[in-house]
Amino acid sequence: MTFAARTWGRMSLTARFTAILLPLAVLLAVGTVVGIVFILPPTMDFLGANLPLVRFAVAVVGILVLTIPTAFVLIYMELKVIARMNLRVGPNRIGPWGAAMSLVHGFKVLTKEDFAPTGADLTVFTLAPVVTFLASVMTLLVIPFAPGLFGQDLNIGVLYFFAMGGLSVLGLLMAGWASFNKYSLLGGLRSAAQIVSYEIPLTISVVGVIILAGTMSMNALVLKQSGSALDWFAFKQPLAVLIFFIAATAEANRTPFDMTEADSEIVAGFATEYSGMRFGFFFFAEYVNVFIVSALLVTLFFGGWTAPFDWPWPYNLNWLDASGIGILWLPIALAVLVIATDILGAAIWLLGGRSWSAPAAFGLGLLIAGAGVTAAAGLACFIAFDWVQGIFWFMAKTYVFVFTFVWMRGTLPRVRVDQLMGFAWKWLLPASLLNLFVTAAAVIILNQPATPR
Amino acid sequence: MPTRPTRTKPQAEEQRPSEQRPPEQHRSEDDPRIMLDREITADLYAPIPPYPTQTEREAEFYTRGDGEMFINIGPHHPATHGVLRLVLKLSGEQIVDVDPVLGYLHRGVEKICENSDYYHVIDQVDPLEYVSSLFQEWAAVLSFEQLMDVEVPRRAEYIRVLSGELLRVASHTLYMGFLALDLGGLTPILYSFIERDEIMEMLAALTGARMLFNYFRIGGVNGDLNHEFMSRLGDWMSRAAKQTEANAGLLNENEIFVRRTRGVGVMDRQMALRFGVTGGNLRAAGVPFDIRRAHPYSVYPELDFNIPTRDEGDSLARYLIRLDEVRESIKIIDQCLHNMPDGPVMARLPRLLRPRPGRAWGACEGPRGMLGVYTISDGSDQPFRFRIHDPSFMNLETVPSLLPGNLLADTMAIVASLDPVLGGIDK
Amino acid sequence: MDRTLKRRLEARVGSQLRGPIRQRKDQTEIRIQAGDVPDVLRTVHDAVDLRFEILADLAGVDTGEHMQVVYHLWSETSPDWLRIIVDGLSREDPRCPSATFLWTGAEWLEREAYDMFGIVFEGNRDLRRIFMPPDYTSFPLRKDFLLPDDAARSPGEGVRHVERPYAPAIVADDPAAGIRRAPAS
Repeated sequence: MTFAARTWGRMSLTARFTAILLPLAVLLAVGTVVGIVFILPPTMDFLGANLPLVRFAVAVVGILVLTIPTAFVLIYMELKVIARMNLRVGPNRIGPWGAAMSLVHGFKVLTKEDFAPTGADLTVFTLAPVVTFLASVMTLLVIPFAPGLFGQDLNIGVLYFFAMGGLSVLGLLMAGWASFNKYSLLGGLRSAAQIVSYEIPLTISVVGVIILAGTMSMNALVLKQSGSALDWFAFKQPLAVLIFFIAATAEANRTPFDMTEADSEIVAGFATEYSGMRFGFFFFAEYVNVFIVSALLVTLFFGGWTAPFDWPWPYNLNWLDASGIGILWLPIALAVLVIATDILGAAIWLLGGRSWSAPAAFGLGLLIAGAGVTAAAGLACFIAFDWVQGIFWFMAKTYVFVFTFVWMRGTLPRVRVDQLMGFAWKWLLPASLLNLFVTAAAVIILNQPATPR
Repeated sequence: MPTRPTRTKPQAEEQRPSEQRPPEQHRSEDDPRIMLDREITADLYAPIPPYPTQTEREAEFYTRGDGEMFINIGPHHPATHGVLRLVLKLSGEQIVDVDPVLGYLHRGVEKICENSDYYHVIDQVDPLEYVSSLFQEWAAVLSFEQLMDVEVPRRAEYIRVLSGELLRVASHTLYMGFLALDLGGLTPILYSFIERDEIMEMLAALTGARMLFNYFRIGGVNGDLNHEFMSRLGDWMSRAAKQTEANAGLLNENEIFVRRTRGVGVMDRQMALRFGVTGGNLRAAGVPFDIRRAHPYSVYPELDFNIPTRDEGDSLARYLIRLDEVRESIKIIDQCLHNMPDGPVMARLPRLLRPRPGRAWGACEGPRGMLGVYTISDGSDQPFRFRIHDPSFMNLETVPSLLPGNLLADTMAIVASLDPVLGGIDK
Repeated sequence: MDRTLKRRLEARVGSQLRGPIRQRKDQTEIRIQAGDVPDVLRTVHDAVDLRFEILADLAGVDTGEHMQVVYHLWSETSPDWLRIIVDGLSREDPRCPSATFLWTGAEWLEREAYDMFGIVFEGNRDLRRIFMPPDYTSFPLRKDFLLPDDAARSPGEGVRHVERPYAPAIVADDPAAGIRRAPAS
C-alpha cells in the first residue's frame, strides 16, 4: 500500500472531511480573489457593452429552466383533473393533495435503467428525444409573457415559431425508425403524417391574423390587441380560432388526435422502446408542447398578456422612490408578519382549548399571517408592476386553454388515423383557405390595410 | 449439482439457429430456457415463423407479398382482453390477414374436471369466463341435472335467473367500458366499474364472493336470499334504469365513437351462422336466436322479455344490442323479484353423487352467447368427459374474416366489440 | 322428446345409422361411422324438414377403447338438440372427415379436437395445434396421457420438479389399474 493509502486509512472521518474540503476551500478562495481582481472587470465591461447578449442568455436559461415546473404542473393537472372527471380522486398521498407527484415522476424517470433495444441505432436513438424536446422549447423564445418579458422580439416571430415547431417531426421520425420495432415505426410514421398534415391549416389560419395586424412580430401582435377584450383577434377571426384550436390539438398529439400514442393498439407508438430519462424527455416535450400551443393561441387570438377590460395601467405606489417608504417596506412587512403571527397564534391557543398546543397554534398563526402578508405583497406587486399583471393575465388565459386540452383528453375517444387525415385535408384545409380569402377580401373592401411595422 | 436428465428431441422439431452452437456455450447457469444477449443477436432476423409451417393455411398466411409486414399484437398488450396474440399481416396500415394464436391461458380445465367430483367441477369451471362466472356454473349444472334427473325447486330457479341477469348487466356494463377504453376514451370504463362494483357487492352479499362465485349447486343454489342482498338490490333497482340511460348516453351520441364503430366489422347473417357465432353478435347480425327463447331452460318460459335484434351487424350494432339487453335484463330482474316463490333453494341429493352412466348436454345463454356443457358419466363420482363449449371461442373465430381490409386501428374496435374473454377461449 | 324428429331422421339418414336413435328428455342422439359424416351432416343441414343449421358444438371424446367425435346441432324445426356421435375411430390413427365444408366455424373446433386428442380431420385446411405450443408432441385429453411422461419432450425440460420424468405410478399394461373405460352404452 502506498503512503497515501495508509494515511487515508488511519484518518478519522473528520480528518478525512477536512483533508478534502480544506484544499478545495483554499482553491475556491484563491480562485474567487483572482477572479474578482483580474477576470471580473473585463468581463463586466464586455457584458455591459453587449447587454442584449446578456439579456438573451438570461432569457434562454430562464425559459429552459421554467419548462420543467410547467411540465410538472401540467402533469399534475392532468392526473388530478382527469381523475375528477373519472369520478375518482387521483394522487393524494404524495405531498399536500398529491402535489409532489410530478416531482416523484421526474425523479423516477431519472433513476430508471438506461438501455437501448438490441439492434437499435444508438446515435439516432439517443438524439431523437433531444430533438423533439428542443424543437418544442425553442419556440418559447418569441412568446411574450408580459410587456417586456420575451426572449427575443423577432419581426418574423410567427414564422420562427412554426418553423421550429415543425422540427419535432424529425424527432418523432428518428425515434420511430431507430427503435428497431415495428410498433415504433408505425407510430413514428403516423405521427409524422399527422403533424405535417395539420401544420398546413394551422399556419394558414394564422395568416388571417397577420393580415389584420400587418406584422409577424408576436409582441406587436399582442400590442395591437391591447385595450379591451373586444379588440382581441378572436372576435374578428372566429373561424380561425376554431381551426387553430383543432389543428393545435393534433399538433400536440393530444386526444382526440393521439393516434401516435394510442396505447390500445401500438402500445406507446414511437416511444415504445424508450424508458427512463429518454422517455422523460418525450413526456416533457409533449406537455410543454401543450403549454406552448395554448400560449400561442392566447398570444395570437386572445390578447396575450393584455387584460380583458381596460385596466388602469400600473398605479405607481411610490415605494421605491426616494420620497416614499423606499426599502423600508421590507422590515415593515416583517414586523407586520411577527405581530400578526403572535396575535393569531395567541387567539388560536386561547380559543382552541386543549386541542392546540402552543407551538402548533403559533405555527398555524405563522401560516395564516404568512399567507396574508404574501397575498398583500402580491397584490401590491400586481398593482405596481406591469409585468406582474402581464404574467398573471397571460398565465390565466393560457391555463384556461391547457385545462380545455386536458378536459378533452378525459372525455373524448380517439379518432382513427384515416379519419384524422381526411379531416385535415378535406375539412380544415379548405376552411382555413376560406378564412384567409374572406379576411383578405374584407380588408381590401373595407379599405383598411393595417400599417406594417 | 444434481444431474440433469438428457434432453430427448422429438423428431419433428427443427433446430433453432441458436441451438446449433455447442451446448456449453449457450446454457445459462440457472435456467436453460434463458437466452443470453449474444444469442438473441444471432436470432435478430430470424425467420417468421421460427418453425416450418405445418398446414396449408399457415403457409398461405406466412408468405409475405410485396410490401407486407408481420406485426404482432402480442400476448402482453394493454388492450387484448386477456392474453391473446394476433399476428397481423399488414400492408402499410391496412390489414391483409390475421392469425390469432391462442393457448396462453390454457389451464386444462377439462382434464382437471375429469379428476374432480361433480361438486368440485362447479368450482373449477368458474374461471373460464371470469367476467360472468355464474353462467358457466349454470351450464355445467344444467348438464348434470339432466344426467341425474334432478328437479330444481322453483325458488332456486328464480334465484338463479335473478343472479344470472344481474351478472349479465354487470358483464355488459364492463363490455361498454372496455370498448370505450380500446377506442381511447378514458372515462366510460370508470363509470362502468362503478356500476359493476355495486353489482359485485350485491352478489358478494348473496354468494360470498365478488367474482368467482361458486354459487350454483346441482339441484339449486348454495344459499337463500338474505337481507343485505335484498337491500342492496333494492337500492340498485331504484336507479338502475336511469343509470343505464346515463351511461349509455356517454357514448351513444359521441360523434367520434359512432364514426369509429359504424360500418366497421360487418358480420352478416350467413357469416354469423356459418361460424357458429351465438349471443349478442348473432342477434346483431339479424338472427333472433336466444337460448332463453329457442330452447328455454329454468323459468324463462314464465318471464316476459323481448329479444332485441338488429340488422346491421357492425360494431355499433353489437354495442347497441348489449345496451338493449341490459334493459331487458332489468325487466327480468323486476319480474323475478315480484314473482319469487317460497320454498327450498336446494334439492335433497346424496353427498356422494354417482349418476347413472350416460350422456347429457346442457346449454345456457351467457352474455357472450351459448355456453354448452357435454358430460359423459361412467357411473363413478367423477365425470368421464367434461366438454365445455365456449361462445367467445366461436366469436373470436370470425376475426380472421372480419379484420382483413380494415385498418390497424380497427383491430381494437372489432375485437373489443365481439367481447372475447380469454379465459373462456383458452379454457 | 320429439318423436317426429326420430321419424324424420330415420326417413332421411336411417340407412347410415349405426345404432338405434336414442332420445332422452330434450336430446336426440344418433350414431354414425366416420365415412358417413359428410353425407349425414349435409343431409341434416340441408333437408327441408330437418334444417339443423346451427352447429352448437364439436367435441372429441376418448372412450378408452375408441375415439369419438360428437356434434351437437340445433334447428328451428325441432325443440330437441341433435347429437351425432361418430364412433369407432381407432386410437392409433383416428381420422374423421371435416365439417368445415358446411360450417367455417368448425375449423377451430376441429383444431381443438386434434390438439387434445390427435383426431385428424381430413379436409381441414388448418389442422394445427391451437392451445398447446406448435412443437408439443402429446395429446393431453387422451386417457393415456401422463404429465411426467411428457416432460422429457417439453422445451423447459426438467427444470421444475413436475417436469422431471419419474417412473409412472400406474403401470400401463396392468389391466386392473390405469385407463378408465367408457360405459358400454
